[in-house]
Amino acid sequence: MTEDSIKQITLKVQRYNPEQDSTPHFQEFLVPVSRGTTVLEGLLYIKENLDSTLTFRTSCRMAICGSCGMLINNYPHLACHTQIEEFHSDTLTIKPLPNLPILKDLVTDLIPFFNTHKSIKPYTIRHETEEMENPTAEFTQTPQELETFLQFTYCVKCGICISACPTSASDKLFLGPQALAQCYRYCADNRDEGWQERFLLVDTDHGVWHCHLAGACSEACPKGLDPALAIQLLKRRLTSQAIGLRKKQQSSPVASPITETKAKVPFPEFTAKES
Amino acid sequence: MRNTYLRLMQLVTGILIAVLLGIHTVIMHLDAILGFFGVAVTEPTSWESMIGRASQAIWVGLYIALLAVVLYHALNGLRGIILELTPSTRTERIVTWVIIAFGIIAFIGGSYVPLALLIS
Repeated sequence: MTEDSIKQITLKVQRYNPEQDSTPHFQEFLVPVSRGTTVLEGLLYIKENLDSTLTFRTSCRMAICGSCGMLINNYPHLACHTQIEEFHSDTLTIKPLPNLPILKDLVTDLIPFFNTHKSIKPYTIRHETEEMENPTAEFTQTPQELETFLQFTYCVKCGICISACPTSASDKLFLGPQALAQCYRYCADNRDEGWQERFLLVDTDHGVWHCHLAGACSEACPKGLDPALAIQLLKRRLTSQAIGLRKKQQSSPVASPITETKAKVPFPEFTAKES
Repeated sequence: MRNTYLRLMQLVTGILIAVLLGIHTVIMHLDAILGFFGVAVTEPTSWESMIGRASQAIWVGLYIALLAVVLYHALNGLRGIILELTPSTRTERIVTWVIIAFGIIAFIGGSYVPLALLIS
C-alpha cells in the first residue's frame, strides 16, 4: 500500500471499550488508499501501524466467512467486500452493526443471532432414524429440486440482514430475516421432513408474520440472497397448509447403490469396432 | 397455526372492508353516478333515507357485518403494532385480552343502535 498510494482518506471509526468508556465515541485515522483498497485493508492498516487496540472481526478476506460485517457510511457491508473507492468520499464513517449488542469497538455479540438461527432447526430432519444414524447412501435430489432453495444455502451468517431489518430494530424478539430464510431453505428441501416442527416455531407473534416486507434484508445482503422472497414463500407455505391447499411434498428416497444403476446414455453405434 | 389463521383473517377482512365500504360509499355519496346507470337514490344522507334503510334487515346486516370486519381488521393490526413496540411475552397476553374486550364492547355498542331501530 506504499508505492501506488494515490491519496489519504480519513476513517472515522466508532470506538467503545466497556471497561473504560461509558458511551461509544469516534476516533479519526488517516489511511493511505490506492485503487482497489478495501475497507478491511484500511482497518488492518490502522491496527498494524496506528493503533493496535482497534478491535474488529476478520478471517477469510473474500466474503465467505461473514465475520467483518459493519456499518460503513451508515449502510451495512462486509468490510472485505467493499472498496473504499466505491464511496467517492474522503471520509468514511465505520460503526458496528446495529440491532446487535456491542462487545468492543466494531465487534458485536453474535451469540443471540446464532441462537435464533439454531432455534429454527437448521438441519435435515428425517423420520427414518435408522437411515439417519447409520446412513447407507445419500438422499436423491434433482437439479430442479435443488434450484428451489439453492440461493438460500449461500447465507454466510454475517448478520447484515438483521442489522438492515427495520422490524428487528423495533422488535427484539423477532426471529429476523436470516433465521426465517433458513427455515424456508430447509422446508423447501425435499430431503427434509421437518416442516411441521419448523412451522410451529415460526408461526408465532414474533415470527414470520411480523415481517413487514420492507425488503431491506435483500437489499443489504452481500451475497445477493433474497431473504424477503424466502419469507414470502414461507408465508405462502404456512397459508396453504392452514387452508388445506398445500401439495404434499414427496420426501426424496435414499439413492440406489451405484452397482444397480444403468447407463442412461447408450454407447454410440458409430464407434469403430475391432474387426 | 394460530397466527397464520389470524393473518389470513386479516387479509379476508381487508377484502370484505373494500366490498362493504364500497357499497356504503356508492350508495351514500355517488348517487349521481348511480342515477346515470338508472338506479334512483333520492337524498341518501337525509334522515328519512337513513331511517328507511334502518328498517330493512339487509342494510342492518350489512352495517353490522361492516362493523365486525372493521373492528377485527383494526384491532388485530393495533395488536400487532403494540406487540412489536413492546416485545415481551409477559405483556402479550394482557394486550390480547384488552384488545378482545375492547372489540366486544365496541361491537355491542355499535350494533345496538341499528338493531334497536330494526326491532322498533
